[in-house]
Amino acid sequence: MAQDSEVLDDEEQKQLQAALQRVGACLKQDSSSRAISVYGWEITAFKRPILNMITRDRWEHMLGTSHLPEMVFGDNSLELVHKDSGLRIHFNAFDALRSWKEEGLPPVEVSAAAQWKMRSKPSKEIVLDYDYTFTTSYSGSEAFISSSNTQADSSKFQWLETDEEIDLISLKARDPILFYDEVVLYEDELADNGVSLLTVKVRVMPSCWFLLLRFWLRVDGVLMRLRDTRMYSSFQQDGFDYPKVLRERCIKEGNVQDLLAMGTSPDMLADRDGSLMYGKLNLSRKQTEKLVLIRN
Amino acid sequence: MSDLDRQIEQLRRCEPLKESEVKALCLKAMEILVEESNVQRVDAPVTICGDIHGQFYDMKELFKVGGECPQTNYLFLGDFVDRGYYSVETFLLLLALKVRYPDRITLIRGNHESRQITQVYGFYDECLRKYGSVNVWRYCTDIFDYLSLSALIENRIFNVHGGLSPNINTLDEIRTIDRKQEVPHEGAMCDLLWSDPEAIDGWGLSPRGAGYLFGGSIVTQFNHTNKIELICRAHQLVMEGYKWMFNNQIVTVWSAPNYCYRCGNVAAILELDEHLTKRFRVFEAAPQEARGFPSKKPAPDYFL
Repeated sequence: MAQDSEVLDDEEQKQLQAALQRVGACLKQDSSSRAISVYGWEITAFKRPILNMITRDRWEHMLGTSHLPEMVFGDNSLELVHKDSGLRIHFNAFDALRSWKEEGLPPVEVSAAAQWKMRSKPSKEIVLDYDYTFTTSYSGSEAFISSSNTQADSSKFQWLETDEEIDLISLKARDPILFYDEVVLYEDELADNGVSLLTVKVRVMPSCWFLLLRFWLRVDGVLMRLRDTRMYSSFQQDGFDYPKVLRERCIKEGNVQDLLAMGTSPDMLADRDGSLMYGKLNLSRKQTEKLVLIRN
Repeated sequence: MSDLDRQIEQLRRCEPLKESEVKALCLKAMEILVEESNVQRVDAPVTICGDIHGQFYDMKELFKVGGECPQTNYLFLGDFVDRGYYSVETFLLLLALKVRYPDRITLIRGNHESRQITQVYGFYDECLRKYGSVNVWRYCTDIFDYLSLSALIENRIFNVHGGLSPNINTLDEIRTIDRKQEVPHEGAMCDLLWSDPEAIDGWGLSPRGAGYLFGGSIVTQFNHTNKIELICRAHQLVMEGYKWMFNNQIVTVWSAPNYCYRCGNVAAILELDEHLTKRFRVFEAAPQEARGFPSKKPAPDYFL
């Protein structure tokens, strides 16, 4: 809350306190995390420094790679736990990098690569071919935390496709935001050829929580790629023994030459986090799922 | 007190100079830098610093730890600008010190000292915001073309921003480069400012299709050919502030603590005494309240 007071004036602070009281929510904070408890949910954002050399080496070994993003916020995470039902949704860099490694896209050439092809080569040259953009299809991790500690419970949560959609109209309402945070999972500057960034933002309102996990890639002069995962859960639940959570995933991509031809301004092409280009890129896939508990 | 001393005092308070003062300072700096070699000779004792990236208040911490110039002799390995909030003040302070004490501070060029890169990563926008025109950016980027490409300490320690190039075997080959130009997209000058060491055998091409990587055997060969014992470079973020590679034949020094104001890394400088005995000084970012800008806590946002 000390941090919140830096961005909120006294009047806003009072309104936030009143809004928190109305729903019986409670905020907590320590040096590396911020949390809110509300309607049975415990939502926590952990923010810590990037991984040190020793841990990086360990991760490289575990992931079977010798390349990780320049900045791996390996101790950062966003966690949403619903205690009564045993649902835990979380977002972390390790699982995201595991998805990157599994997907293993071929590398994208930067704009200077054309000129480099003309260069005389050293007699012995290894061409590295890992996906340096760290493109990941990661869309969060979920687990069932069994409440019984005597017997192994192999129930698990799964995502199933649904026709329902996240109600973006109601999310446009300017209800008070009880809790907000943004957590970076990893980032790479592509040796100054653009940016690769994986972040998750969350906002908690009196009636629901909503989050956006975004992978954003900008290879300057070449390509833009966005992979979004949105999740939504209303606090007004209709009698289920676990909360209803909707997840919407979409993939958008654009070739910079095409975008320039369409009249996209150079300022937008320097987009740091995808917020400017979101509406400009062509949607290539979209899917909505809901979370179901598979009982054993 | 001379105008220059007054300007240094002003810049040490993180107050930018007037546009006309920047122009005059750059003209004076150009006269000094044009005389420097592509492999600028530096005497020990000297303190080597890596990337700063416009983190002015963290550079003040660096001077607290390492001592002020001219009491301490400094070598900065480039990347003074971009990313941080105070590229203008950072670069102008270093440049003013260079003009005032040319033999007590050496500045070499990093890959961010370029017209093209600064237009993407912040310095251009910062100049436009602080001066309302791009003139200061023009004066500064013109000066970038004059910065030396490397430095040689007591003929034994070679210093460069990025690393080695397959087009360069000897220091004399660096001396023949015509450096007074924008950093090219490929070739020896580009490699010196851009390449990275990597745990491979020989030369490697980055998966980006541009950018060289060099292995331990390349470093051994280069050091042997040129009778040097160590390569000191910057260019890559290291959480611990410095990183040895290839049996202590090359070291990376990183001097931007809490990089981009959120990485939480420490920074380092490398002090060499008159016998070239090495001592790393590790330091942390300036405390929040020392920085004159509000915390980076994101304001609640109705994102969709």
